Amino acid sequence: MGKEELREELLKQLHEGVVEFEEDQVKEASQKVIDEGLNVYDAVMNGLAAGMQEVGELYDQHEYFVPELLMAADALYVGLDILRPHIKLEDLGDKPKGQVVIGTVQGDVHDIGKNIIKMMFDVAGFTVHDLGRDVPLEKFVEEQLNTDSEIVALSAMMTTTMMGMEKVIKMIKEKNPDVAIMLGGAPVTSDTADLFGADGYAESAGNAVQEAIKMISRLREMQKK
Amino acid sequence: MTDMTPRERVLKLFAKEPIDTMPCFSGQGMVTVPAIDSVGIPFSQIHLTAENMAESAIKSMEMFDFDAAVVPYDMCTIPEAFGLGVSIYENAEGILFPTIPKKWSLPDEVVIPEDYLERARMPVVDGALKLLKEKIGTTHAIGTWILGPFTLAGQLVELDVLMKMAYKEKAKVEALLDKIVDLTIDLGRHYREIGADFVSLREMGTGADLISPRMFKKMIQPRLRKIFDAWDSPKILHICGSTDLIIELMNDCGAEVISVDHKNTLSESRSKIGKDILLFGDYDGFNLPSKASVEEIQEAIKKCIDAGVDAVWPGCDIWPDVKSENMQAINNAIKEFGRVSTPAVGRL
Repeated sequence: MGKEELREELLKQLHEGVVEFEEDQVKEASQKVIDEGLNVYDAVMNGLAAGMQEVGELYDQHEYFVPELLMAADALYVGLDILRPHIKLEDLGDKPKGQVVIGTVQGDVHDIGKNIIKMMFDVAGFTVHDLGRDVPLEKFVEEQLNTDSEIVALSAMMTTTMMGMEKVIKMIKEKNPDVAIMLGGAPVTSDTADLFGADGYAESAGNAVQEAIKMISRLREMQKK
Repeated sequence: MTDMTPRERVLKLFAKEPIDTMPCFSGQGMVTVPAIDSVGIPFSQIHLTAENMAESAIKSMEMFDFDAAVVPYDMCTIPEAFGLGVSIYENAEGILFPTIPKKWSLPDEVVIPEDYLERARMPVVDGALKLLKEKIGTTHAIGTWILGPFTLAGQLVELDVLMKMAYKEKAKVEALLDKIVDLTIDLGRHYREIGADFVSLREMGTGADLISPRMFKKMIQPRLRKIFDAWDSPKILHICGSTDLIIELMNDCGAEVISVDHKNTLSESRSKIGKDILLFGDYDGFNLPSKASVEEIQEAIKKCIDAGVDAVWPGCDIWPDVKSENMQAINNAIKEFGRVSTPAVGRL
């Protein structure tokens, strides 16, 4: 099998392995990518992430639901854990990658949505500082300052905890007005995000990363001026 | 308006008998900050004693002319009584509802103590229901709620673990659900015996934005049916989130009331489930009481009624920090626009 043919075959196995939740298949294919000296970033983006993209489409079409998303995410992480240590900086190209602080706000112990968004940031090459769930509001401010992250992503699953987001935004913007803040979670709408003074709103996991990349680009342009 | 009491109005609505106008109430938390401020109880304390719970419920009811009082306000009473503890956020600023700090790793680890009714805050809820019965039981309706089996299981075991195991190790998840079903049947009966006029079953972890309609049909529906078969009327099933895809399955669980939130397409649901079953919903319990203008409130309430609900009530807990004028405007609009017959209930 030629190198290109092998690449195609392994990408297919990674893609299918994520869509069908076949962790062993993903593990084997990922190891083979390393052993054969193929482009690791290509395997992540065009194998694992492409598989996850199909999972997202199946979710939008009501063919897959949250349990399927979670099982696909498990399969993706099996591959990502093997491949990520081998990604070279030059593979990332000129796309703006940055750091993101992520967590669910205090009072909210639901983290399924946050974990899916985190996975998308991981795949896209961001450095993710995951604070977990039920995070005291001031912790977001501290972590942003400590890591100098460009983005803070906040998630709330319930209306009853959503209000904490507004406070965090104020606290962070007071300390560092240049930080971009994204909101997500079941009760959050784009109107709420505007009302709370956020810079971005993610309706879905895929949309979160696109929003994040746009926000980082905007920030860097601002910093150049 | 007739001389019908709020309690009569609510009970007749459930019995599908003619009423004067639509009652204002909820099958979920409806405590408000203006009410608890007026009696000087901090938010974190309203969950901790029967007196505080009952007083905050009564004050919220009186302040905004609700037809019912509802307790408790948080989802942790049962898991806490099973020994999982609770975070009350006593010193946090603002409104934070109690949460469960740590759950079991796997469904087969869950232990339900025989004396759970005597543990943690279960006696607080019992005490509050008894106080409500004593203080407002002749004039106003008394409501409570219990989480549905899958949603409660998600409070005991991490939801992501539960969801994946529902696929991979179904028998273990089903064994836990069956234990919870038996508990729910007994607890619902217990709450009715000590004073609740209605018990709402909140199975919000099973909407079609979380699990598939197929899983709902296979795993959830038979268990809901078992609970409703065992309970006395009124039998209320509430699911929030995406319910358009499962509304017919919800209608086939043995409930007499289907309650949904604002993500449901009410008019379509009404045509799918017919005119005979009670349909409740579905105003936004955050935006309407806290942010909307009076005009927007009136429009939203009218829209619910025009879409075919028999009672306009919130699709989730009312966000407690309401604007008083908004909350009053919501209930005024319900009473005003609710004078006309609805699909399942006539008017006097």
